[in-house]
Amino acid sequence: MSKGTSKATKVIDGLYYTKEHEWARVEGDLVVVGITDYAQHALHEITFVEIMQSGTTLNAGEECGLVESMKASSDVFSPVSGQIVEVNTSLEDSPETVNEDPYGKGWMYKIRPSNLKADLKKLMDSKAYASFVASKT
Amino acid sequence: MSENLGRTHLYDWHKSHGDVIPFAGWEMPVRYTDIREEHMAVRKSVGIFDTTHMFRFLISGPQAPDLLQTVTTNSISKLGMNEGHYSTCLNEKAGIHDDLMIYRIGEQKYIWITNASNGPKIKAHLAAHAKQFKVSVEDKSRDIVMIAVQGPQALTLLSKMAGEDLRKLARFSCNPIRFAGRDCYLCRTGYTGEEGGEILLLDTPFSEAGKKKAISFWEEILRQGKDLDVKPCGLGARDSTRLEAGFVLYGHELNEEITPLEARISYAVKFKVEPHYIGYDALLKQKQEGVTRTRIGLLMIDKGVPREQYPIMLGNQQIGAVTSGGMSPVLDCGIALALVKADAVKEGDTVEVDIKGRLRKARVTGWPFYNPDEYGENRTH
Repeated sequence: MSKGTSKATKVIDGLYYTKEHEWARVEGDLVVVGITDYAQHALHEITFVEIMQSGTTLNAGEECGLVESMKASSDVFSPVSGQIVEVNTSLEDSPETVNEDPYGKGWMYKIRPSNLKADLKKLMDSKAYASFVASKT
Repeated sequence: MSENLGRTHLYDWHKSHGDVIPFAGWEMPVRYTDIREEHMAVRKSVGIFDTTHMFRFLISGPQAPDLLQTVTTNSISKLGMNEGHYSTCLNEKAGIHDDLMIYRIGEQKYIWITNASNGPKIKAHLAAHAKQFKVSVEDKSRDIVMIAVQGPQALTLLSKMAGEDLRKLARFSCNPIRFAGRDCYLCRTGYTGEEGGEILLLDTPFSEAGKKKAISFWEEILRQGKDLDVKPCGLGARDSTRLEAGFVLYGHELNEEITPLEARISYAVKFKVEPHYIGYDALLKQKQEGVTRTRIGLLMIDKGVPREQYPIMLGNQQIGAVTSGGMSPVLDCGIALALVKADAVKEGDTVEVDIKGRLRKARVTGWPFYNPDEYGENRTH
């Protein structure tokens, strides 16, 4: 493999994943959402992150923001339905945090889910996502 | 990626050192490390780009100037020996088949360098028109490797490799030079806004020996430029540097429907020429009547990155759309080129870019986007 994608893609147990490479982590009655290590690797050099405002109501699979990299722009889709309660505003000034720590400080928003059980069933667990990613490389 | 993608002589090197992606029918490196890092190497020291995917035609014979003036818009008769110029090749409606460089390397001998994406189209166009003239058109794309060396330290590096001071060579000139013992032409041109040149490495067939020669030459540039912090640069930095300099890119600012006057590259167009080139009448008419749309630059005031096709709004009215956009590493904000209604705005005005339904303010500007005293080939310090 080439230099930029030579590191193994990190997948974390206990999270839920979409085919568009978002992750969701259940924390109490909220769900935290971000993009995966695979996604940040593919985008490389993230320059700008914009997520819809707090209060926005979303359906699972709906577009809820965008991530800009040096090379391209890509959409973020919500893994679950609900209402956004908090957006990670620190990404406004340091979008590169998503490259550095996609599953931690690079989280994008917190959502109060409205249909959690059914939505989670449609997502992949870490094992399924790891093989999904492996099939793409 | 299963279709037949082209590879340059340097493909194996790119594959082992960078991220190779499909581009305009070619497998080319988008980056080796980071686009911003490579971009800043070009702005602050020197970067090298493999541009072998572009097409190179050798046009020679007693009527070579007649063929060239029939199919291109700049004045061929003004080209002295070892001089080059930027030009366009038009359709009857003055829309653009391609933008290109022409260098005169002999009394009746010219090199035409054209975009990778338009190579086959231009080759057919040249072949069709060559029939009426005493001229030969040879496709030398596979026998010449092309490497751009760009940045404030580019001429230092090139001079070192040539063993002579190349600073004296005029911009846009094209001279035979030996670099590290290899026969080359050095074109004093580029696509980044910076000082430097484009090397044509001659006699380099697309064979195992030719590939080996190309790779060893590429590595020789990197070796000799090590103390200048030379960096290999991919297509990502090629696009971001040309955008920051305000240069047009075919398929974005230029296409078969857009004229050179609308794209504001009138320096590629002359009207006192003989014979009149294809598209001359339509272009002259437009010059006399005025354009109805024009290219502008945009500098984001609000956060956000403008991208191709995003609408440009003035009040409630859409006045045009972005043709190329991205993040400027030098300015650390979004910049764009856009095609808008003529006379709708002037430099300094504020417009809004519709970024996926969100209106973000931008200032109308000229180019280059960077401060020309600080960056680019005319920098003062």
